[in-house]
Amino acid sequence: MEFVNESQEKIKSDLLTVNMGPQHPATHGVLRVEIKTDSEIVSEAIPHIGYLHRCMEKHSESIDYRGVIPFCDRMDYLAAMSMEWGYVQAVEKLLETEVPERAEYIRVIIAELQRIASHLLFYGVYAIDLGAFSPFLYAFQDREKILRIFEEVSGARLLYNYFWIGGVWNDLTDDHLRRIGSFCDEMEENMKKYHNLVGMNKIFRDRTSHVGVVNEKMAYEYGATGAVLRGSGAKWDLRKNRTYGIYDKFDFDVPVGTGEMGTQGDCWDRYYVRVREVFESIKIIRQALEGIEAGPIMGKVPKIIKPPKGEVYVRTECPRGELGYHLVSDGTAKPYRLKVKSSCFTHVSMLPELGKGQMIADFVATIGSIDIVLGEVDR
Amino acid sequence: MSNEIVDFLNKEVPTSNAKLLEVEAGDVPVVVEASSIKDVCFALRDSSDFKFEVLQVISGVDYEDRIEVNYMLASFTKNNEVIVKVNLPKENKDSIPEIESVCDVWKSANFLERETYDMNGVKFLNHPDFRRILCPDDWEGHPLRKDYVVQEKYLDMVVNPEHKINQGDFDFMTKAKLESDEPKKITGSWKGHVSDEMADALKRKMDSLAAAKSE
Repeated sequence: MEFVNESQEKIKSDLLTVNMGPQHPATHGVLRVEIKTDSEIVSEAIPHIGYLHRCMEKHSESIDYRGVIPFCDRMDYLAAMSMEWGYVQAVEKLLETEVPERAEYIRVIIAELQRIASHLLFYGVYAIDLGAFSPFLYAFQDREKILRIFEEVSGARLLYNYFWIGGVWNDLTDDHLRRIGSFCDEMEENMKKYHNLVGMNKIFRDRTSHVGVVNEKMAYEYGATGAVLRGSGAKWDLRKNRTYGIYDKFDFDVPVGTGEMGTQGDCWDRYYVRVREVFESIKIIRQALEGIEAGPIMGKVPKIIKPPKGEVYVRTECPRGELGYHLVSDGTAKPYRLKVKSSCFTHVSMLPELGKGQMIADFVATIGSIDIVLGEVDR
Repeated sequence: MSNEIVDFLNKEVPTSNAKLLEVEAGDVPVVVEASSIKDVCFALRDSSDFKFEVLQVISGVDYEDRIEVNYMLASFTKNNEVIVKVNLPKENKDSIPEIESVCDVWKSANFLERETYDMNGVKFLNHPDFRRILCPDDWEGHPLRKDYVVQEKYLDMVVNPEHKINQGDFDFMTKAKLESDEPKKITGSWKGHVSDEMADALKRKMDSLAAAKSE
C-alpha cells in the first residue's frame, strides 16, 4: 500500500501481523488469532486452536462407559451438566434404557439452571470485553447461588459427574426445590435490572449493533447453532423442534434476533437472545417444579454396560449451541469411538469471514458475542 | 426417512450406489460410494424434499482394514437428520486414504475436514487450506488411529519424562486398597503404572486375606 505524507514523499506500508492471544483476556481462553491489520482494520484473521487439546476422544476409547462422564464435564467446564446430558442420552439410546419420570424432571431443572449460569457468565464476561467491569460482579453473585445448589446436590462446584446412565446420581430434596423456586423469582427481577444496566446502555449498544453480522444463510453454511443461529432470525431450538427428555411437556418460547438495535444477526441480537433465554429457562424451571412428583431416580441399568453393536448420533441443546455425540459401540464394555460435535468449534470457523474488514475493537466484540469455550473447541 | 433418502440418491446420483447399513441397534446410516461423495452432498443439499443445508460434523472411525468417514447432515427447515457413511479402504496401517473435499458444498466442512485429517489421517482433495488443526504442524501420526503410538520425542523434548510423573497419582488406588479391610470393594477404572513395592505389598495382603478366609 502507498501513502503520501505532508512533504509529498511516498511511504510504503505493509500489513502488520498481530497475534491476538493465546494469553489474552479477550479471547476467553487459549485462542490465538493471527490478525493481519491494515492500521486499525482487520484484513485477515486466522484462528489457531489446539492449545487446550487434551485427547478427550482418545481417552474415552480406553475407559468404560460410565467413566466417560467426567471427561464430558471437562470439555465445556462452564456448562458441564448440559454436556453430560448429551453423552448419557447417547448411551441410553443405544441401551434402550427407560429413565424414570422424576429423574427426567430433575435433569430438566438442573440443565436449565446450568443454562442460566452459563448465560450469566457470558453476560458478565462480555461486558468486561467491552470495558464495563461491574456487571461481571453482579452476574457472579447470582451464578454463585446456582453453584451453591449444584454443590449441595452433586458435591462439586464446576465438574459434577451428576447425570448418570439411567438417571441422576442424587435426589433433590424438597428444600432444594423450594430454594430453586425462590431463586427463580430473584433471578427474574435481577435479570431485568442487569439487562437495563448493560443492554440498554448507549455505549454498549453502539459497540455491538451493526457489528459482526451473521445472516441466516451464513449461519446455515457454517453450521452455526444456538444463540448465533437464533440471533440471525432462524427459529430453531432442539428442545422445541426435536424434543428430547420431557421438554414437550413445557410451554416456552424460542427467542430470535429481530434487529431492534441495528441489523438482524448482529452482536446485540445474540446478546439479547441469551438474555431472553434466561427468562425462558426460568419459565421452564417453574413448570418443572410444579410437575415434579416423588419416585425413583435411577432406571434399570446393567452393572457392566455393554451396548449392542451399532452407532448413534444424539443432539442436545447446550447453552452455547447444539452438542452432538457420535457414539460407536462394538459390543464391548468400552466405546469404540466417541466423536463430539462441538458448537464452539464450528463457531470459531466463522471468525475469518466475520473478522474481515472489521476494526480490531469490533473483532473483540464479535469473538465475545459468539461465546466460545476453548475447552470445548479443542476437547 | 432413510429409505426415502436411499431411493432419492439412487435416482439422482446413480454412481452413488446408496444402501442402508444393517445394524443391531441405534441409527441407520446411508452408505454411499466414496467417489461420488461430492455429488451426493450437492444433491442432498439442493433437493427440495430434504434440504440438508447444514453439515453438523464429520466423524472418522478407524478400523483395521478401512476408515469410515461419517457426514452428519441436518436440515433445520425440514427438520431431518441423516448419517452419510463412506468407506475408505486402507492398504496398510500407514496409508492415508483420499476423498474429495466437500468445502464447496458447506463452508463448515473446512475446519471439520482439517480435524478429520489431523485425528484420523484422511486426505481431503481440493481443500482450500489443508493442514493440521489441533496438533502442531510438525506432529507425527494421527492420534485417533487405533494403532497410534505416542512419539517418544517431540522437538528434542522427551514426552512424559520420568521425573515429571507423579507416582503418588498412580499409587492412589493401591494405597487405598492397602489401607482398607476389604480391598476387593475398592474398584475404579484407574489403572496406572503401580510401583513394584506397592504391587508386591498388595499381593502379599491379598494372599494373606485369602489364606485367612480359607482357614
